[in-house]
Amino acid sequence: MKFNRIGIILIGCALIAIMLVVTLLVIRQHDSQTAQIRTKGVGLVKSLSTVPLSLLRDGANGGVLASLLAYHDDSGFAYATIGDAGGRILAEVAGKGSMTPSLPLPASAAAGFGVRDLAAGGGTPALREFYGPLADRSMGPVFVRVGFYQPRHAMPAQDVSFLALLALAMFLVVPVIYLVIKREMAPLAGLSDQLRLLAAPGKADAADAGDVRETIGAMQRHLGQAGERIAQLERGALDTTADNRLLQYGSRKLNAALQSLPDALLMLDPAGDVTFASGKIEPLLGIPMERILGQPLESWCCDPVLRSLIGRFSGDLRDNARAHGVAQAVQFAPRNVDGRQLSASAQPLSGGHGTMSFGTLIVVRDVTREFLARQAGNDFVAHVSHELKSPLNVIGMYAEMLADSDDETLRVESLNVIQDEIERMNALVGNLLNVSKLESGSMSPERNRVRLDDLLRDAHDQALSRAEGKGLRVVLDLPRELEAVAIDKDLFRIALNNLLTNAIKYNRPGGSVTLSARNEDNEIVISVRDTGIGIAPADQDRIFDKFYRVSEGDAPLKRGGHGLGLYLAAQIVELHHGRVVLDSEPGVGSTFSVHLKIVPAPAGAAVL
Amino acid sequence: MSARRILLVDDEPHVLRVLRLALEREGYAVATAADGHAALACMAAQLPDVLISDIQMDGMDGRTLCPLARATWPDHPFLILVMTSMTALDERSWARALSNTEFLEKPLSPRQLVARLARHFAALPSSPDRPSEPPHAA
Repeated sequence: MKFNRIGIILIGCALIAIMLVVTLLVIRQHDSQTAQIRTKGVGLVKSLSTVPLSLLRDGANGGVLASLLAYHDDSGFAYATIGDAGGRILAEVAGKGSMTPSLPLPASAAAGFGVRDLAAGGGTPALREFYGPLADRSMGPVFVRVGFYQPRHAMPAQDVSFLALLALAMFLVVPVIYLVIKREMAPLAGLSDQLRLLAAPGKADAADAGDVRETIGAMQRHLGQAGERIAQLERGALDTTADNRLLQYGSRKLNAALQSLPDALLMLDPAGDVTFASGKIEPLLGIPMERILGQPLESWCCDPVLRSLIGRFSGDLRDNARAHGVAQAVQFAPRNVDGRQLSASAQPLSGGHGTMSFGTLIVVRDVTREFLARQAGNDFVAHVSHELKSPLNVIGMYAEMLADSDDETLRVESLNVIQDEIERMNALVGNLLNVSKLESGSMSPERNRVRLDDLLRDAHDQALSRAEGKGLRVVLDLPRELEAVAIDKDLFRIALNNLLTNAIKYNRPGGSVTLSARNEDNEIVISVRDTGIGIAPADQDRIFDKFYRVSEGDAPLKRGGHGLGLYLAAQIVELHHGRVVLDSEPGVGSTFSVHLKIVPAPAGAAVL
Repeated sequence: MSARRILLVDDEPHVLRVLRLALEREGYAVATAADGHAALACMAAQLPDVLISDIQMDGMDGRTLCPLARATWPDHPFLILVMTSMTALDERSWARALSNTEFLEKPLSPRQLVARLARHFAALPSSPDRPSEPPHAA
């Protein structure tokens, strides 16, 4: 059995321990006896050596030596003798049963005290002899010798009971330890026994089985409790993981939001180094990301305006900028990207109600469109004022001439020119108003089903009067039947007039303008054809742009265009979901064709 | 004493016509050109005392013509008058480096132009009988 084995081991250990203790005690006692004998022996020899010889000799059995008999009770004392150098004994006293050995003294004895061991032999046990010369040298050199029995390794009787008690106490501890261990291990041992009984089929009786059930039930309860606790801990860990994932998800979402912002972001730490840069920064500034992140400002920022803005938010000037607490914005054209205008604004990044500073946030925005729009607006104003000043200039000069001249032909000429220039200004102002309406979105066509015949005839008549003065023919070519289209009559008239004005203006003397219309598939095509100077291929793409005017290097006359007519015509046609097609050959002429979709007439719809 | 010669450059024919009439009535010899190329051709034939030019012109504009004329005839001290409508399109900084060059603001009054020219010629040493200059540019 396991426990018996433990018990035996414990008992063995206890016995070994007891034996060790006893041995140590005996050795220690022997040593102390030896030391005791030495003290006694040396002391006795020294004290005897000072005694006068006469005292020692007189009354050989009743003198000073006799008093040494007090030692006779000491079981260790063997003898004490006074003898001369020849070994003659002058006086002696011996312990019980002791015989004085007659060994001669060594030569060194005359010089001083000494000690020697005398081996056992001849019925005499081993002795230790102390010797020394006598101070009284009245009879020549005389020596005193004292002998003691060598102590033996024996257990003194008075110590036996103490040792027995010690051994008993140690031996009693063993069963206590054994019992404690056995008690602690008992349930496990019992379980093990019972399980073994169960495992051996046919041997388990009902009572044992009951105990097993009870123990196993208890164990199950404990196991269940432990399991619940583990599950609880696991749930906690799971919650923490879920929280972490949620946090990670949130952080990723935030990062995605920052990355997909239309503006580029730069975050600077308080020292002015970039700690975050959104992906948009790369195309905007034309600087690769790895050159920006964590690099000193001077090494990546090659735009002095941006550098000075960032510099204001880092280093010594930082506090100053922060003290003002306002976002600062600059606009610049990046060095590495052509034709772009960027605006950059900087503001301090602070959290915790302004107590914490995370550095600076720089927002870089592409403002190219706004910049171009603003520039276009400025250009527009410049163009318009220029276009208005030109006719005004002519009118002013002719008016002055009119006032100063008496010449009748000059007066007529002046009046005509003034009239023309007023018309030119009027057309410009009218077109400007229309463009303004068009661009503000307030020009919404009121589309009605219209027969084009009347509209085209009106336009032809108007063009005729303008063309007459220039010696141009205006031809109207209409088919017998034209499909109705849904258009805003007033707007469409503007478009048509602009096309006709253009055809007259850029024609050559003696040329012609043809206004025609035809049905074509699902469309009606209205064409304005001139026999003018034509439009170079390079200009054809831009001819409908606002304020675009064809360069007329070899044109003999200034045409007085203002770059709005064709733009407006095209825009109006577009409002009607149509398109303008240009077909031109320089030197021969141009044809502008307006394509409009034919709208099937709803039953009973009125045609204006 | 030969008449003072004036070269008018503008792509607006009405302007050329009115100014020519007004200046000829004052006894000036007037030549006209519709753009810078024509003007340089005129100057090569005969140098004027005054060059009056518009800025915005098709072909060679005033911004190119005036410095070119000065650079081509550096020894000839003709006055340059530039007509400007004072808008952003008539950017004028280019003329700062040109000597003896002034601006005339549109709308231009022929009467004021005549008075301006009279003042200019009155300030010059009387009747400089110029030798006819050999043309440098074709």
